[in-house]
Amino acid sequence: MPVNEITYLEGIRQGLQHTMQEDPDVILFGQDVGSFGGAFKVTTGFLETFGAARVFNTPICESAMLGAAIGMASQGLKPVLEVQFADFATTAIHQLLNNAGTMHYRTGVAVPMTVRAPCGGGFGGGPFHSEELEAFFCHMPGIKVVYPAFPSDARSLLVAAIHDPNPVVFLENKYLYRHIKELVPEAIAPIRIGSARVCRSGQDAVVLTYGAMVHEAIQAAEHLAADMGYRVMVVDMRTLKPYDTDTVIATVAATNRVLIVHEGWHTCGFGAELAALVAEQAFHLLDAPVRRLTAPDCPVPFAPDLEKAYRPNAARIEEALVELLEY
Amino acid sequence: MNDATSLFLLRVMLTTRAIEERLIRLYHQGRIFGGVYTGLGQEASGAAVAAIAAPNDLFAPCIRNLSLHIGRGASPRDLFRQWLGRADGPTGGRDGNVHFGNLDHGVYAMISHLGAMISVVSGGVMARRYQGMDSVGFAFIGDGATSTGDFHESVNFAAVREVPLMVVVENNHYAYSTPNASQFRCRNLVDKAAGYGIEGIALDGNDAIGLTEALAPVVADLREKPRTVLVEVDTMRMRGHGEHDDFSYVPRELLAAYAARDPLTVCREILLARGLINPPGLEALEAEVQQAVDQAQQAAFRDPPPSPSTLLKGVYAGE
Repeated sequence: MPVNEITYLEGIRQGLQHTMQEDPDVILFGQDVGSFGGAFKVTTGFLETFGAARVFNTPICESAMLGAAIGMASQGLKPVLEVQFADFATTAIHQLLNNAGTMHYRTGVAVPMTVRAPCGGGFGGGPFHSEELEAFFCHMPGIKVVYPAFPSDARSLLVAAIHDPNPVVFLENKYLYRHIKELVPEAIAPIRIGSARVCRSGQDAVVLTYGAMVHEAIQAAEHLAADMGYRVMVVDMRTLKPYDTDTVIATVAATNRVLIVHEGWHTCGFGAELAALVAEQAFHLLDAPVRRLTAPDCPVPFAPDLEKAYRPNAARIEEALVELLEY
Repeated sequence: MNDATSLFLLRVMLTTRAIEERLIRLYHQGRIFGGVYTGLGQEASGAAVAAIAAPNDLFAPCIRNLSLHIGRGASPRDLFRQWLGRADGPTGGRDGNVHFGNLDHGVYAMISHLGAMISVVSGGVMARRYQGMDSVGFAFIGDGATSTGDFHESVNFAAVREVPLMVVVENNHYAYSTPNASQFRCRNLVDKAAGYGIEGIALDGNDAIGLTEALAPVVADLREKPRTVLVEVDTMRMRGHGEHDDFSYVPRELLAAYAARDPLTVCREILLARGLINPPGLEALEAEVQQAVDQAQQAAFRDPPPSPSTLLKGVYAGE
């Protein structure tokens, strides 16, 4: 089977292109997604390939865009909406919370729509182009949240998100777009929404993480193995709602020590959910208190030194792991 | 306008009025859950739109548009089931009062956030047209909702995309207790159309026959030349925001002026004057409507409530 090396961004592009080729119900719209190809060039050439009826630009109106996607989805289409930055989805959050997330429960009408939301920092984007809002989205009933960290998963999970009969927020980590490459086969492997990926095996501790922090955690684990001989498991949650509780519990059982890492805010972050699950269901398996390494509860700062202090990285993950392992 | 359409308008408005008056009674008797919000005095525009629309059209009614639901085929029994939170009602007890719809009738269930449904109905119409159907959308909102960001975003979006959409702004002069003077600065709400580069039409919102005659050609033209239009209808909320509200902040002279132009009275008089119905025929129709409402109410009270065991069913589709 032929294998190609693709970027994370290319994985997203291929997943989108594949579903649009297979299914005429898939419609793509958002700000600048047409001839410009989107702010990050994910959809370059889509307008030419699929035509203006399926790929179109919108005014700057996140709430109306979300509302229109709900309307389309309620009629059987599978709209894919790009909000240029996840930060800007906040101006439309009520359409997601109140309309998309409740429609099937209230009226039995399914809303198969996908909101592509580029998120995360690490590139000097400042307070309004770097936010990690997965905890917001996960808190809403009726919404699914997917957040891949690898090109292959980005490709497969976008296909799964588009075909899911529910509203799915598909978080794309901007830092990973061109930084991460992976060898992938031509054929897109199906991935079930709700399954985690064990991306590094180990028995001394487990890092539960997702997004860009997966790669930082792998780097930390490798460094720690070389330096101190510890074998640290790394789990990429990759879908956050629903999330893979079985894998979390199994990896805690296998390692007895848990570090949770994310670049979103600390208080009520997704890590708090994971920590609560472990406390409720795997307390007896722990040899050390659950540890969280997250962004602090402050806006995402701009200056490189400030952002470096704000955002977890491999070195700080390694430090936290050493403390956890030596507890 | 043909005779059948005139009689349709009268029947829809009579049914709407009879149901809402019954809901008001049930509320004050303490026999109904939650709030009761009615459109007494505002029955005309929903009935007119229902009379004009085609089978594939889509609708986003608001809290005062029960007549639109009835005009599109909602059954009185279903309506009572909805207000009573019954298992077999339109939302199965998941939502109450005016928050329901039926997409088989093309009617979206509103959410409480005003202006939010305009873009939803736009998207629905865009989808239907993509699927090869002739579809026009109708979104109803009140004067207060024109102040929301959603109104602006969605009207602009629909205008830019040339969505065949009629945004019907029912100016009933009060958003809860807030009068027009504290809500907007333009002279008339229809003036806002100019800012979106769309046509604006101002009409008497209490004359269902006049509305139907004025809007039918506009809607026919929207099918030929898809575009968004803004219609402002002047009407009056004849009750409080909900039945919990004594609306003492509304000048009684204003209510009296609109009471003289009650939509049912206006419609009855035109039909009688045109000889489309005679007094005994009218009396028989009103008795028939009342009887249907009585039966629907009795049946709905006998219908079962939802079981608590169904609480988590249907949060997600396909599960």
